[in-house]
Amino acid sequence: MAILNLTAKQSNRILIHKNMEPVKLENSVEIILTPQFYTFLREELDIKFAYQAKQIAASMFDDYLDASKAYQYHVYKCDNSWCFFAYNIEEIDQFLESVGIEKHRVSKIYFAQQLESELSTPLLLSGNHALQSVDGIVTMVPKRLLGDEVAYSTLDIDKPKLKNGVSMGDSLDSFVSVKETIILGSLLILLGTSFIVEGQRIKSSIANEDAKLTMLIDDNPKYGSSALRTSILGKYKPIDTIERAKRDAIKDISTLLSSKSQLKSLTIDKNMVSADIMTQNSKISKQVKEHGKAKKMKISGSGLNVKVEVKL
Amino acid sequence: MNLMTLQRYKNEIILLLALFFVIGAFLYKVNASSYVEENKAHIQQQIAEITAINKYKNQWDGKSMPNKVKALKTVVDASKVKSFSKKSKKLVASYVNLTANDLNKINNKLINMPVQIIKLQVTERSKNIYSMEFTCKW
Repeated sequence: MAILNLTAKQSNRILIHKNMEPVKLENSVEIILTPQFYTFLREELDIKFAYQAKQIAASMFDDYLDASKAYQYHVYKCDNSWCFFAYNIEEIDQFLESVGIEKHRVSKIYFAQQLESELSTPLLLSGNHALQSVDGIVTMVPKRLLGDEVAYSTLDIDKPKLKNGVSMGDSLDSFVSVKETIILGSLLILLGTSFIVEGQRIKSSIANEDAKLTMLIDDNPKYGSSALRTSILGKYKPIDTIERAKRDAIKDISTLLSSKSQLKSLTIDKNMVSADIMTQNSKISKQVKEHGKAKKMKISGSGLNVKVEVKL
Repeated sequence: MNLMTLQRYKNEIILLLALFFVIGAFLYKVNASSYVEENKAHIQQQIAEITAINKYKNQWDGKSMPNKVKALKTVVDASKVKSFSKKSKKLVASYVNLTANDLNKINNKLINMPVQIIKLQVTERSKNIYSMEFTCKW
């Protein structure tokens, strides 16, 4: 079997038919399937959208296809009708492999029907067949039926503008449709983005505190040590607490003093602030005692003498 | 896995990648939350501690006290200052013949100074005449 080497001047499109010569490819190609690989139907249907047509495609071919095989369907609008194609991608895949076309080299799959207007004159294929449009349907015609004097088309299949191609991947069964992929993918991306935004917002919520702490530690790096902080606080906190308590006690005692209640003595020592107050009469004495109690002082003394104590 | 298989399942692969993205983003958010949860209280505590240390040090380190305590000597008439001994970081002072007004002046000065009052004794010697002794350090 001869190997057709197309590396020198490689065609972008290859017509796929069962008698074709094996090829050796180095670049991606578009393939045009001859009717040997698909079943074609053209129907005038009251349908607006391609997806609706695709939904009924399988039922359109009910009586034409081998029920034991799995088919893929391709539909597009052609003039006022809908063009339906049924093909078996596994069969095509196997054939392509047998003629040396690796699957990943196939960028698009087209159908010979799409060359209908260019095939009014037959296009000779290798072997004994030609491709010709018969009553608007591209058909494989045996060469012998065309006679010897027929003029064959010199069509360059790279030239016609073809649309409505199918990618190899799209032809294969996919669990998720493109539409679902777009919707679900967008939702997932949105969700993910919202998580990231939320995460950054959460992180930035302590950015100010973090910056303040960094500034404080930069001002005094030794305060970065937890042990040192504890030690310094351990030294100063009791002093602060006790000294404030002594001053508060003195202020509280001074509120008990007046022209009718005079200080006799005031003592501050390690654990206590105490004062002796001499009052003018029992009424004042009672008032002083009540005020002292209200300020949670320990009150004692007899007669006009009132002794108040504040424990530190 | 060849290119054909990738192409065949490209929709699923796109969704899978999007799902990984969501899972990654979710983990990032969870990580951010736990980072904040773990660190916020700790950072705030450190700030509070350092702020408290700065405040305490400013108040109680006694750097400018040797000069400030001199005011306790001049707040009343010199004749009323029985003794005024400032050694190292400690002051021992004794006053006599203080009026109530003098007593208030000394008292106000003293309690408004950031010194540790170790001992203080005020005694009425006669009607409205007081003596006062105190020891403080810084």
